[in-house]
Amino acid sequence: MNDRLSETFGALADPTRRAILARLASGEASVTELASPFAMSMPAISKHLKVLERAGLIARGREAQWRPCRLQAAPLQDVAGWVDHYRRFWEESFDRLDDYLQELKARDSKSKAKEKKHVRTKRKD
Amino acid sequence: MSAQNARTSSTMQSSEWDLVMTRVFDAPRELVFKAWTETKHVAQWWGPKGFTNPVCEMDVRAGGAIRIHMRAPDGVVYPMTGVFQEIAAPERLVFLCSALDDKGNSMFDVLSTVTFAEERGKTALTLQLRVMKATAAAPQYLKGMEMGWMQSLDRLGELLRSISRMTQ
Repeated sequence: MNDRLSETFGALADPTRRAILARLASGEASVTELASPFAMSMPAISKHLKVLERAGLIARGREAQWRPCRLQAAPLQDVAGWVDHYRRFWEESFDRLDDYLQELKARDSKSKAKEKKHVRTKRKD
Repeated sequence: MSAQNARTSSTMQSSEWDLVMTRVFDAPRELVFKAWTETKHVAQWWGPKGFTNPVCEMDVRAGGAIRIHMRAPDGVVYPMTGVFQEIAAPERLVFLCSALDDKGNSMFDVLSTVTFAEERGKTALTLQLRVMKATAAAPQYLKGMEMGWMQSLDRLGELLRSISRMTQ
């Protein structure tokens, strides 16, 4: 799918879903187990799980009756990689902005000094 | 509109953002804000090391357009467009940025909120990024760009090496 990253970002945008993923990072769990920390109805939890499943972030077992949920790391790695690249883009830009601001400041104080000198010479006349 | 929601959210926590970056600049806030909102300044620093910005246009008002063409050291041009959503000089800037492919389609849209805070003559800048859309081409795009600037660092390294050889 062309928009898979968008879907991953969308799935990650919700705090409940992030908490579910964090829980699954320590091992597979049943829907009941996943629901227990939240003051939420089972259908609401199921809805969140469906979003995560569609984004490929979790997989659900078919074999066992309790259908445990498992974390799927690949889309997370894609997102982390993308974010990392984007962060580097900005870090590079910030470095340049830093240098440029110093240049602007130096230019500014030089022109101010010139102004003062100008005023002084004028007074002499 | 999710872009609108992200902006007006009253309990804005860093966890609502995909990426938050802060940096303190040793310059007064007015100057830093100016460096972000006047194109002759923006063109001097926007983009990674070694990049130039042959096209840099900004209509600095809410709803105003942004158009920047970044040129990598290897000659590849990376166009992007955007629109300002909020301008509160010299404190805050909100804009939506899109990177375009060679057909002019957006590969990713990122909502950026820049906050400028005065800190005893220095400026603490916070950049909050929210990814609104990202296609499968998005990672490739950034990777390509990174190759561009890594090369420019390599070139700098080469130059320094050859200079140090000459002075030996």
